[in-house]
Amino acid sequence: MRAHWQILVVDDEEVMCESLAAWLREDGYGVDTASSGVEALEKAQKKDYAIYFIDLKMPGMDGIETMMQIRRLQPEASIIIITAYATVDTAITAMKEGAQEYIVKPCNPEEISLLVNRIIKVKNLLRENTILRKKLTRQYKVHDVITKNPRMQEVLRLCEEVASLRSTVLIQGESGTGKELIARALRNAGDRASKPFIAVSCAALAETLLESELFGYEKGAFTGAAQQRRGKFEAADGGTIFLDEIGDISPKLQVDLLRVLQDRSFCRVGGSEEVKVDVRVVAATHVNLQQAVAEGKFREDLYYRLNVIQIRIPPLRERREDIPLLADHFLERLSHELGKDIAGISEGAIKILMDYNWPGNVRELENAIERAMVTCHGPKLAEEDFSFLLEVTAPGQPWNVPPCMSMNEMERILIMATLQRQRGNIKESAAILGIDRSTLYEKIKKYNIPR
Amino acid sequence: MRYLYVGGTPELDRQALQEIRACVAGEFGARVREMELPGVEFAFDAERGQYGSIPVLDWLNRLCPQDALKLLAVTERDLFIPVLTFVFGQAQLGGRAGVVSLARLRQEFYGLPRNDAVLVRRAHKEAMHETGHLFGLVHCADRRCVMSLATSVRQIDAKEAVFCAPCKARLRAQTQEFVT
Repeated sequence: MRAHWQILVVDDEEVMCESLAAWLREDGYGVDTASSGVEALEKAQKKDYAIYFIDLKMPGMDGIETMMQIRRLQPEASIIIITAYATVDTAITAMKEGAQEYIVKPCNPEEISLLVNRIIKVKNLLRENTILRKKLTRQYKVHDVITKNPRMQEVLRLCEEVASLRSTVLIQGESGTGKELIARALRNAGDRASKPFIAVSCAALAETLLESELFGYEKGAFTGAAQQRRGKFEAADGGTIFLDEIGDISPKLQVDLLRVLQDRSFCRVGGSEEVKVDVRVVAATHVNLQQAVAEGKFREDLYYRLNVIQIRIPPLRERREDIPLLADHFLERLSHELGKDIAGISEGAIKILMDYNWPGNVRELENAIERAMVTCHGPKLAEEDFSFLLEVTAPGQPWNVPPCMSMNEMERILIMATLQRQRGNIKESAAILGIDRSTLYEKIKKYNIPR
Repeated sequence: MRYLYVGGTPELDRQALQEIRACVAGEFGARVREMELPGVEFAFDAERGQYGSIPVLDWLNRLCPQDALKLLAVTERDLFIPVLTFVFGQAQLGGRAGVVSLARLRQEFYGLPRNDAVLVRRAHKEAMHETGHLFGLVHCADRRCVMSLATSVRQIDAKEAVFCAPCKARLRAQTQEFVT
């Protein structure tokens, strides 16, 4: 996991700076150099460096002063002071001001390599710990949602506003857009953060099973009910229940749920005693509930009960600006999980990701990055690592013809897309389109398509 | 047609150079050429009694023949960079010029009897390592891989004269054009 860590070497002697930087680059780190304390501070403001090598004696701002200023900007960075003249006094001052190490040049290569490895090892462990802890506890916060899309930011603002209310929330979004993540973020931003969060996938269980799962059952309610069992609603008492795929529940359960939402009370299966709970309901669905209501598949009264606060998560293809951000995020997280050191994603590969339609949304993007990382042999994820995205042009996906589209417009889009996929190769594009090369040239000219 | 050049400085034992050239040829395909290089005395640092590898690399870049894809120099001179006490060799990452020093690969350096077989084994690994850097490979965490960082002869002896599978795949991607 070296490629993700950046190092800054600060020394007024160019040869010193460049030689150490070159040596560290051979180790796979991203290394920048600065020839003065001032330049180092400028760079530290723009980028987070994991390690700073700072020469003690520099004209103007000296090493100790530079270190103190950098520590103010980046308290977590490790700073190594380098000096040609070792005195006990300077070593003590450097360590007191927060230097992690103090080395005297020339230094044994083994010493410096061990030192850097030790620091990076700790940083990797800390980073991995944060990732795993988050994954384990799923304590996602609103600011964990990665986006710069205005609609998504609106969603996040709404989440924070309604987090502490008890009102029911309905999250609508296509499969893989992150409905559960939003539900968890919503819960963690509110006053129920420390209370239980119980997630139930309504599509995963058969009707009767789901009923006893949600409401619990009394002893002897059915064969095998040897003792009373509490359901998910009771388990979530005081906290939040997340009902995923709510659009898939049966008419009978819709009635039961309506009652819970109205009275915050229900009876266990096979019981007559009323159980009262204080539960905030967050429901999610990938189906269009309004349409389901119109078709008579979903109860209108339940829909209105659920739809008190509506959060609509846009599909990934409608927030393409987030694709590079998300891709980088997954790359970094998966690097730790897969133990593979990949420095980044090439521009060509990003273009493929940006052009792809993502029917499976963010989840599909995550899987695509993982697949590419597993097969990747280069230092970066390249175009060929994502070739599987170009092969699958969503078979069986119904293609919606946009309204008010002319034949010319349609032809222009088709030619552009084909050329893009064939990376501008006219011969191949013409073969796919089933026209002559000369005809394709004519059309490119006619529609003024850039190549 | 472009070649991978292996060059020796005048003081270098020709037998050693031949063997290194053969090793590199075996690893990187047949397009390897040998060349004679002048001495690196200009890079001598009297204070340290060693030769600066940075000026040597700059100089090698200027000496690179027209048809050279890369130039790997081999010298007997003990090399250093200012911040370190020594380097076994150095190469421009993804660049054209690299250098390997045999000075600290010799048993004699450590007060032991001369052993040419050991020297050639170590030189072979270091030449592969620096050539790997020239093709853009960075240090490998696999201790047995020739691209792992060695800061002592003990570590050089511990690694094998082969690239591990991921490094080999990366190398292949980089050298495809050169080897075919």
